[in-house]
Amino acid sequence: MSENNEASTLQGDDIKINQQLLHSVIKLNTLLMASVSGVIGGLTMFLVTYLSLFRGLPEPGHYLNLLGVFLPGYEVSLSGAWIGLFWGTLIGAFLGGMFYRVYAQSIELQVRRCIERNRVGGDLMQTTLRMSGRHLGLALGGLVSVGLVITTSWLVIRGTANESANAMLLSNYLPGYTVSFLGSIVGGIQLFFITYIICLVFSWLYNTVAFSRGGHSCE
Amino acid sequence: MTQKIDVDKAVLMAAFARIHVWGLAIAMGTVWALMIFSATAILIIKGAPSGVEVGPNLALIGIYLPDYTVSWSGAIIGAAYLWVIGAVFGFVLAMLWNLTHYLFITAVVVRAAWWKLMAD
Repeated sequence: MSENNEASTLQGDDIKINQQLLHSVIKLNTLLMASVSGVIGGLTMFLVTYLSLFRGLPEPGHYLNLLGVFLPGYEVSLSGAWIGLFWGTLIGAFLGGMFYRVYAQSIELQVRRCIERNRVGGDLMQTTLRMSGRHLGLALGGLVSVGLVITTSWLVIRGTANESANAMLLSNYLPGYTVSFLGSIVGGIQLFFITYIICLVFSWLYNTVAFSRGGHSCE
Repeated sequence: MTQKIDVDKAVLMAAFARIHVWGLAIAMGTVWALMIFSATAILIIKGAPSGVEVGPNLALIGIYLPDYTVSWSGAIIGAAYLWVIGAVFGFVLAMLWNLTHYLFITAVVVRAAWWKLMAD
């Protein structure tokens, strides 16, 4: 009997996953995701600031400057772009790490499916990621909705809620959202569900393209 | 022992799976395009009082996306731009993710080979 055939007899609770290995790879991937997100977040802030500076005439960064409310020291200027790079890197890394920690809940499930379907084998580096829309939705939906609650609460705490006309515009997309604690929770719940649905569509598209173009998963 | 080896390999396969570069690029481009199209369409459908501009704040995206306006033609132009930007973003994200994994695994293999060589 081959190794794979032997593994295929394992089902459900029979599968004993090496938790130490699992936690180690999740920790490593969290670090990698934080690094990649940090680089992308920092560069995006830097480029957007420069674009606004040179294309936003006659009032460069009129609205982008509002980010300074949340990111101390940030403004649309040559030096502000570097501060934006710093904050973008920091926030990108934090969000990327948080995102992966939640999304990683799907890995154990993937491992179990992989073993139950007897797909363990082949080149380790040639396996293609099958995206879990449900876990992606939970991770991303959770992050953006908590982000909305935190940023709105910050506007309330600093006493500028009534002047936050731009934040109020979100009510065009999130009915019931207001710049208040309660409004942020109402908006956050709606944003969670919208993001969750977008993630389901996104992962369906990704999986369809990836596995119709030669990708193969162990699941 | 056989079971342990297979389960461990399954963990590594799931954790180190490559992101399909074109899959992520196309999915991200499409979703971003749909998002800007929907955001523009919602404002157009909701409308504004007579004589008032529709979506003056969203129209500021035109600073970054030339010719984008809050109109049906603008929605299509914005969707086209965001499809390209989203696809490039997805492509870069997937490449970076796969590259970091590849570099890490290469470093582990080289280090193991080095220690084996030293032990011998």
